[in-house]
Amino acid sequence: MEALNTIRPELLTFSREQIVAISPYIWLFGGSVLAIVAAALRVISPKWPVFLITLATLIAGTISSFLLMSNEPMVLFSGKMVADVYANFFNLIFMISAIVTAMASLRYLDDGKIQHPEYYLLLLFSVMGMMLMASSLDLVVLFIALELMSLSVYVLVGFRRTDRRSNEAAMKYFILGGAASAILLYGAALLYGATGSTGIRDMLAFIQKSPEGVSPLFVLGSWLVVIGFLFKVASVPFHMWMPDVYEGAPAPITGFMTTGLKAAAFAAFMRVFVSAGYGAGLAESLRTHLHDILWISAVLTMVVGNVIALTQTNLKRMLAYSSISHTGYLLVGMIAGPLSEQGYAPVALYLVSYAAMNLGAFVILTILAAKDDSGLNLHDMSGLSRRHPWIAFSMAVFMLSMAGIPPTAGFAAKYYLFYSAIQAREVPLVVISVLCSAISVYYYLRVLVYMYMRDPVESPSGQRVSIWAALAVAAMVALTLQIGVLPERMVTAARKAVISL
Amino acid sequence: MNYVQPWVILAFSAIIFFIGFAGILVRRNILVVLMCIELMLNAANLTFVTFSKQLHHMGGQMSVFFIITVAAAESAIGLGLVVAMFRTLRSVDTDDIQLLRE
Repeated sequence: MEALNTIRPELLTFSREQIVAISPYIWLFGGSVLAIVAAALRVISPKWPVFLITLATLIAGTISSFLLMSNEPMVLFSGKMVADVYANFFNLIFMISAIVTAMASLRYLDDGKIQHPEYYLLLLFSVMGMMLMASSLDLVVLFIALELMSLSVYVLVGFRRTDRRSNEAAMKYFILGGAASAILLYGAALLYGATGSTGIRDMLAFIQKSPEGVSPLFVLGSWLVVIGFLFKVASVPFHMWMPDVYEGAPAPITGFMTTGLKAAAFAAFMRVFVSAGYGAGLAESLRTHLHDILWISAVLTMVVGNVIALTQTNLKRMLAYSSISHTGYLLVGMIAGPLSEQGYAPVALYLVSYAAMNLGAFVILTILAAKDDSGLNLHDMSGLSRRHPWIAFSMAVFMLSMAGIPPTAGFAAKYYLFYSAIQAREVPLVVISVLCSAISVYYYLRVLVYMYMRDPVESPSGQRVSIWAALAVAAMVALTLQIGVLPERMVTAARKAVISL
Repeated sequence: MNYVQPWVILAFSAIIFFIGFAGILVRRNILVVLMCIELMLNAANLTFVTFSKQLHHMGGQMSVFFIITVAAAESAIGLGLVVAMFRTLRSVDTDDIQLLRE
């Protein structure tokens, strides 16, 4: 009977403020239910009702997240979840990348004869999982959100059912992703045993109460959780799955994975990291321990990602390796975070800029892809500037941005990131990252050379450009240039988000 | 009344976890690999329950329900992917997954 007394009625009712604070999640949930019904009906046409509901839901969610950016942090569901600026900042990244992905996929799915309404549903579910990941304060809730996101994405990766590559990629991703989730969960179980709670903030309180040293159980548990996260963000030595999965997945989904999934994994990683007191409160020995793990992983990730990307001729695979190298830069920001005065703001800014430029690049690949995602080799890009001048121009902007050349988002983000690393006195790390970034210029500019300086080839790729995809590309070009020319506003937003942690 | 000591169960679940992990690395049949993933998740479940009993804290036992549900969803999707792969590949052997390695 004791347990019954602990149910407090105030936990079972919602106040008005709480409902407002979770309104983005309510929008998404309501929209998914509506979309399921619309998908089951299939009366008018298989694509339009679900597509429009998905788009409307995501736009409503984006607007409410944007309006909530200035609200005070609010802890919900008895400390399992928090709605703060940080969560809303990342919600915006997830929902905008889903909008762009949905818009780019419309024509692509028609061309591949795989226009099933479930595609948009799965997209909505995975966005829901990402949003919960960025706002969860409990390792078990985090695990459930992670699985909600991953399970939807496993299916999306294998969405081209008749294509062997897609199936193999989905299977590979499923096995390795499932193993990583299980490792993370086992780590959470050990942390629960060591601290007596699965809540991240309770863990921090427990560590601060016993400063004389942490138990080996705690160290092992946090190791396993860190390994799980490093796998999800695909840093070396846990990167082996990534190029294969990115190559096999449908092109718009690859874009979604490089931006949404990566941002979600980093959002949760940072929250666990900061809340578990990486910056303050942890024992000194444990802190240097974690610092060393991340340092080695960051250097390996940057070097391996960039060097292997040099030799790739398939654009999807090249962007997969470049995605690995960008993970390395982000890890540099994670290391510098607690030691510099910017905190983790550079990481948040980098994730936004990376999302803008990478999504744009993948929408272009989606437009150019022929059936079964062939025709994405470098020589297929030859003379693109004559066939599709605007697409070639946009691709050039994204490539320059990824290489980090000034008037683009990539430069602003990299500058801010390396500046904070210098403040944290990580000079060797900055030197390595700048050298790696110099290597990367070669393979990004090679795409430009092919597009502008080679004669056109007969390419099987799509001749007409869908208006939705063109809109998405234009929006991403605008965002990339906007962050590059006037980074001020985005920097302020990122800083506010990180302070609210 | 003889109770089993908590550390025995913890050691047992750690062993199960590593059997599962080794199985993923070593076994070649995808269905067995799926079972190994389940094994790892169940090892985590056992650990949660043991710690919950040891700490007199209900949170751990509650988590197990959620984890079981997630594991069920995961195996449903895993089997679906295996079926889809079998249709194009005519095999459930991980050695045959090599198209992307070229």
